[in-house]
Amino acid sequence: MSTKPDMIQKCLWLEFLMGMFIAGTLSLDCNLLNVHLRRVTWQNLRHLSSMSNSFPVECLRENIAFELPQEFLQYTQPMKRDIKKAFYEMSLQAFNIFSQHTFKYWKERHLKQIQIGLDQQAEYLNQCLEEDENENEDMKEMKENEMKPSEARVPQLSNLELRRYFNRIDNFLKEKKYSDCAWEIVRVEIRRCLYYFYKFTALFRRK
Amino acid sequence: MRLVCPSCLPGPHLRPQDPSRPLPGALHASPLLGVRFCCTPPRPTPPHQGCPGHRALATARYVKVKRRLKIAKMLLSQNAFIVRSLNLFLMVYISLVFGISHDSPDYTDESCTFKISLRNFRSILSWELKNHSIVPTHYMLLYTIMSKPEDLKMVMNCANTTRSFCDLTDEWRSTHEAYVTILEGFSGNTTLFSCSHNFWLAIDMSFEPPEFETVGFTNHINVMVKFPSIVEEELQFDLSLVIEEQSEGIVKKHKPEIRGNMSGNFTYVIDKLIPNTNYCVSVYFEHSDEQAVIKSPLKCTLLPPGQESESAESAKIGGIITVFLIALVLTSAIVTLKWIGYICLRNSLPKVLNFHNFLAWPFLNLPPLEAMDMVEVIYINRKKKVWDYNYDDESDSDTEAAAPRTSGGGYTMHGLTVRPLGQASATSTESQFIDPESEEEPDLPEVDVELPMTPKGSPQRLELLSGPCERRESPLQDPFPEEDYSSTEGSGGRITFNVDLNSVFLRVLDDEDSDDLEEAPLMISSHPEEMVDPEGPDNVQSSHLLASGEGTQPTFPSPSSEDLWSEDAPSDQSDTSESDVDLGDGYIMR
Repeated sequence: MSTKPDMIQKCLWLEFLMGMFIAGTLSLDCNLLNVHLRRVTWQNLRHLSSMSNSFPVECLRENIAFELPQEFLQYTQPMKRDIKKAFYEMSLQAFNIFSQHTFKYWKERHLKQIQIGLDQQAEYLNQCLEEDENENEDMKEMKENEMKPSEARVPQLSNLELRRYFNRIDNFLKEKKYSDCAWEIVRVEIRRCLYYFYKFTALFRRK
Repeated sequence: MRLVCPSCLPGPHLRPQDPSRPLPGALHASPLLGVRFCCTPPRPTPPHQGCPGHRALATARYVKVKRRLKIAKMLLSQNAFIVRSLNLFLMVYISLVFGISHDSPDYTDESCTFKISLRNFRSILSWELKNHSIVPTHYMLLYTIMSKPEDLKMVMNCANTTRSFCDLTDEWRSTHEAYVTILEGFSGNTTLFSCSHNFWLAIDMSFEPPEFETVGFTNHINVMVKFPSIVEEELQFDLSLVIEEQSEGIVKKHKPEIRGNMSGNFTYVIDKLIPNTNYCVSVYFEHSDEQAVIKSPLKCTLLPPGQESESAESAKIGGIITVFLIALVLTSAIVTLKWIGYICLRNSLPKVLNFHNFLAWPFLNLPPLEAMDMVEVIYINRKKKVWDYNYDDESDSDTEAAAPRTSGGGYTMHGLTVRPLGQASATSTESQFIDPESEEEPDLPEVDVELPMTPKGSPQRLELLSGPCERRESPLQDPFPEEDYSSTEGSGGRITFNVDLNSVFLRVLDDEDSDDLEEAPLMISSHPEEMVDPEGPDNVQSSHLLASGEGTQPTFPSPSSEDLWSEDAPSDQSDTSESDVDLGDGYIMR
């Protein structure tokens, strides 16, 4: 029947429009994005954990300290916006690392899921950041006079430190020639970093 | 393995094999297999043109070669298939071997299963050997973190332990860290096995449900959850307590908010329960987005029955009140609707519009059928005679027959000779027909009307008044419309009409026929009761003069009364008829 594919096409087109509409409307709310972000981040953590069942003890010899920026670890009440920026940067860097070298094919599935997850994270964060920018421009003038001294002392998170951190990871991989041990160590390290940011998303919610 | 095609045997026209050099058209298998085909047999050359002896030999050889060629092709195709499948199997096998071997490079001897769980807020690592034949005497546990290069540490409280679990609450304090654990089992001084595992507490930790107690009351249950008094700050996971209440297949989840640490005893009340029902309670921890939970065993309790009389009484009262309220609402609704006229409208129709009496209806309302009589109208030309307010009796038929008279009231009198159809007597009676508005046609000939007479047969002179008759309720028929006058064939012409005498006035001139009046009352109407009084007191006369032809003449099918209807609308019921002739009681009313 020649009419059926037309009907299906029309339906698809409608569905697509609806999907876009829904996605568009849903994506506007940053609070909702936080929920999605939290969920996606947790899924990524699970994927990173399930990639390898056991850790070879021999790889411990090659273990090094990547020195995650300490600002992350010391924050109790960080600025929401800075954290979001850092999270966004971290997502992009992790994505780059996981894209540059292909694992063995039986890890391909996990890798793809991680890449997709990290991309989604970046997407959600980007939208929220854009929204916050518009809000903050109005709020800045109001807050200038009300700024507490303690807030001024808290150092701003710089993405530079984060980029340096990921550079160290990348160099390590290249140094070890993308061996399995190196990949295992990198995997665990990125998971650790991601978990810190996952904890911070709880702060977004409470705020 | 090497396959040699039969036609590759050295012959005069075949080249020797050269395995090193790939021959044209050769099929080479994968070097992995070491299979190589030798050659494709070359094309046989056609027999030489030459001596017949040579020719015969050449032809035979050609045929042979061709046959061999065919066989070789067949074998090749078969072999190709075999070789291809062999190739495939080998590839799969090798890849599997390499793949599997690479998957677990060093731990093909993974012989332990580890499990770490939080029991009473203490991290307990437990293990189990897969190979149950190995029974070590004691174990040793070592661990390190992965965030920085550190040496393996031994867990002191599990050194040389005989138990297959270890409390690592004091050792593993961070949920961010990844702990690499090595378990070694000894039997004496010999190491029986060595297992390792990478733990990440945020994912790998399972949470065992806490201890709790339930106390059931009539309509509520008290749940007391026992937490340890001292809880490590470090190991505060993102946990939430869930209390599940089950009853008759319905499961309800309660998530009480616990402020501060989960320490000490915590009491939660499940209320709004049904007395005399069995309720089962289960408690467990839920960790953020994790779906796997460990539920505690159910603790069921049967609630004591409540005071039934109270509840029954209150239920009864409630029921009565509800019913009463509903009735009140309905009544008020109905009353409102009735008041606004939406329902139960009064049917106050007038009596005449009451069509319920259908049985009597046809009999009451139908007009009676009127007997139609045959009337022959004979025109007689008469001179117009203007009435000069002379009350002389114009009973002279001749004079009257001269011309139709006009009356002051606009009536034209036409003299008509009425002759009964059945009689051959000379015209002795004439009926005068008054046409209300025929002044315009004074020249209309008089029409003789033959009326069916009474049984007596004496023709009478009748005067037909048609004007007032039109005011009757019963349909009045003017048997002499103007057009009929004009349609006369001529003076003295005869026209036959069907006259409904019931619809015309008849006036009997009593100068001649006064005797006849009493003698022979002319019946006009077959329904004496149809006599209706026109306006004027004089017209209220008894109807002893009626013309009826019912008994004497057969009823001819008459045209409809509308044909004879006068188109002149009667102006009014004038009393000209009575003023014309002083007949006394000579008028016949309808």
